[in-house]
Amino acid sequence: MMRDILGLKKSEKAPVYLRLIDLISFIYTRLGVNYSQMRLILELKMTMDGRRDSALPGFESGRRSDQEKNQFFSSLWVYTLISLFLLFLFAYDNWVFQYTTYFSFLFIMTFSTLLANFSTILLDTKDATLIGTKPVDRKTLGAAKATHVGIYLVAFTLAIGLPVIGFTFYFNGIIAGILVFLLSLLASLWCLGLTLFVYATILKQFDGERLKNIIAYSQISLSVFMVLGYYLVGQIFQVIDPETLLVEMNLSVGHVLLFPMWFVAPFGMLQEGLSTTYIIYTALLIIGTVGLALLFNWNTDKIESNLQKMDSSSTKQTKRSFIERMAASVLCFDPLEKAYFHFGWQITKTEREFKTRLYPSIASALVFPVVMTYTTLTSGEPGVTQSPVTFLYLPYFTMLMIPVLTVSIQFSKNYKGNWVFNLTPNDSKAPFMRAVTKAMLIKILAPLYIAVATLVLYFTGFAYLLQMINGLLLTSVILFLEMKRSVAALPFSRKYAASEANLGCMGTLIFFVPVFIISVIMIVSQSFIPNAEWVILLILVGVNGWWMRKGFNSKAKK
Amino acid sequence: MEPILEISKLIKQFDGKPVLKEVSFSVYPGEIVGYIGPNGAGKSTTVKIILGMIDRDGGDIRLFGQPIESYDVSYKSRIGYVPENADLYETLTAKEYLLFIGELYGMEENVVLKKSEQMMDALGIKESFNGRLASFSKGMRQKVLIISSLLHDPDILFWDEPLNGLDANSVQVIKELLGKLKKEGKTIFYSSHVMDTVEKLSDRILILNDGEVVANGPFEELKEEADGTLEQLFNTLTGFDQHAALAEQFLLAMKGEDADDA
Repeated sequence: MMRDILGLKKSEKAPVYLRLIDLISFIYTRLGVNYSQMRLILELKMTMDGRRDSALPGFESGRRSDQEKNQFFSSLWVYTLISLFLLFLFAYDNWVFQYTTYFSFLFIMTFSTLLANFSTILLDTKDATLIGTKPVDRKTLGAAKATHVGIYLVAFTLAIGLPVIGFTFYFNGIIAGILVFLLSLLASLWCLGLTLFVYATILKQFDGERLKNIIAYSQISLSVFMVLGYYLVGQIFQVIDPETLLVEMNLSVGHVLLFPMWFVAPFGMLQEGLSTTYIIYTALLIIGTVGLALLFNWNTDKIESNLQKMDSSSTKQTKRSFIERMAASVLCFDPLEKAYFHFGWQITKTEREFKTRLYPSIASALVFPVVMTYTTLTSGEPGVTQSPVTFLYLPYFTMLMIPVLTVSIQFSKNYKGNWVFNLTPNDSKAPFMRAVTKAMLIKILAPLYIAVATLVLYFTGFAYLLQMINGLLLTSVILFLEMKRSVAALPFSRKYAASEANLGCMGTLIFFVPVFIISVIMIVSQSFIPNAEWVILLILVGVNGWWMRKGFNSKAKK
Repeated sequence: MEPILEISKLIKQFDGKPVLKEVSFSVYPGEIVGYIGPNGAGKSTTVKIILGMIDRDGGDIRLFGQPIESYDVSYKSRIGYVPENADLYETLTAKEYLLFIGELYGMEENVVLKKSEQMMDALGIKESFNGRLASFSKGMRQKVLIISSLLHDPDILFWDEPLNGLDANSVQVIKELLGKLKKEGKTIFYSSHVMDTVEKLSDRILILNDGEVVANGPFEELKEEADGTLEQLFNTLTGFDQHAALAEQFLLAMKGEDADDA
């Protein structure tokens, strides 16, 4: 207890988040966490996040700043900007509809951010060596880690929620405003609690190599569930009258599992009064929250004690696969590039952190097309083939992955190994970038694209084969452009840091606009202008041929 | 005298493969024990289990006279640990890092700062007190780790490869320090690959091979089993006698010739 006083005394110059956590320090103490130690760890982690790791001298192209600034917090406004679109909700007079949409959006954004960007921190094993060997119990360390991620997550959620929360006060009254604020906070803690629960269970059940794979699969399946849930929530409502914006809700027992709905029930009660459905859902929300809190309390130290398993490695024979060899010999034009191609391929195959970042987005890139296909097929219209345009754009969804991919590629757990690039005899940056871009194209984008395209061709017939090929070529060009734009240093040469977790969110935003325009031009021109696909094919083959040979060459050298 | 550390029939498996096969030994207060063995023999795993970083699959560990499961984490404040690979929070400065570690042990800020600055001075890296650890050389990092393991004046030291990356002069300082720590009544349990250091420095030597203790005793005793140096004994016990042939094979491989033809 003496420690708390000490903590409060320090807090006068402490950052906001620490002061806020000081306010709830009694919760930690009650849970059996050593609060002063936890605060110390937290403070240290945040300090480290604020600092950029200086890469190898001489090999980073500019942008090296020693000033302490947390990238994460300063980029949050972008998310606030994105979620401004949610304000259209206030045009509807149905609170339940408003907040269902809001919470679904909130959950999907927070969850995917958490899975993709913060899993690395939750599953970090270094702390066990450096902190776990000191008199710090696992519970305290676990709580510190969870709080560390929690701070980012809460900030993120509030940034997304800000427009809706603010205007709720204006449109729906103070009570609704306070409610939506508190429930938004709760929602972000739910995401954290659920994720920790899943990880704790997996870490407990599995061992060794299998553990690493299952962690990756769990991330994919969590993302799939999220997107599917979003889709199902959308089905609950039907716009009856588009003019008066009247919405009808068909909530049935089957929807009980859609927990974002639980967050909405209190608003239903507030606007429409008590009803059995709302009471049950609100009760579920309370029970769920208590349950998650208990699980969290029970699990925090379990995660820490099982994390070391992640470090055990087994010697599995790896071989260059047929596709890898084929692609290398077809696409790479000099031996150096070929070497880098294999390097990029192998490093992304084995590195867990890379997969952790990327896999959730694979899921969302794939789920949308599949869900849409399913909807179109089940909507009862027999003549699917009559409107093939709805299908033709589906493979373009694969491009959604490109920004995440180009960000992930910059980081590596073994970023220190990049000294090896200094040893190669000639200028290596351009071939390296080309090779890695090609490797990612063949290894990640092309298979996904081809999978979706095959699905499309199955429904529309082979007449559209050329358009599909054009789409793939376009994907390749866009990948090149995005790589060129966003990868400043060498690939795999940066260290993972929490503060850079949402790196590239701006890029993603900017990215969508031109890509959307180009995609529309592609689809429309190929559908209506005769022989356009042949012209486009020629152009794209030309552009691809150029970047695969000369792309990334620096102009200064010539 | 009662042992400060007593391990009996310690078992650990990774992925179904046994890493420690019923390892048993005792360490007595004030002893310097050299724990040696080939790479992958299970040395670091043993230490990690004692420190509670990984769970064991079987066996008993008694530390300071009691089974370790009977303690809460407070027993760790009597341990000083230097990890095998010099892992540090690299974005911090040496000062910040040492302060953090000291405060985790519950020490006062000014005490930690004073101690760590003096210790860094003694090891010749005082001028880097405010430097980022990322810019430190391997030897400097090792020194920081050694300091961080001694800040809180522990009773027993677990040093995994403490001489890693240190230059010859620093090695001598550390060796001298080990002797003085012993005189202070500290127990030192360390692993190393440098055989003549282990031979001269240790009161007792434990050799671990393939998850089993194959030798345990003062060097004088062990010497009687196989003549000569510790290195020779080590080779015999770990069943390794082909270094000449292997070097030859390596050279042939470098030249691109086939070893079988030679």
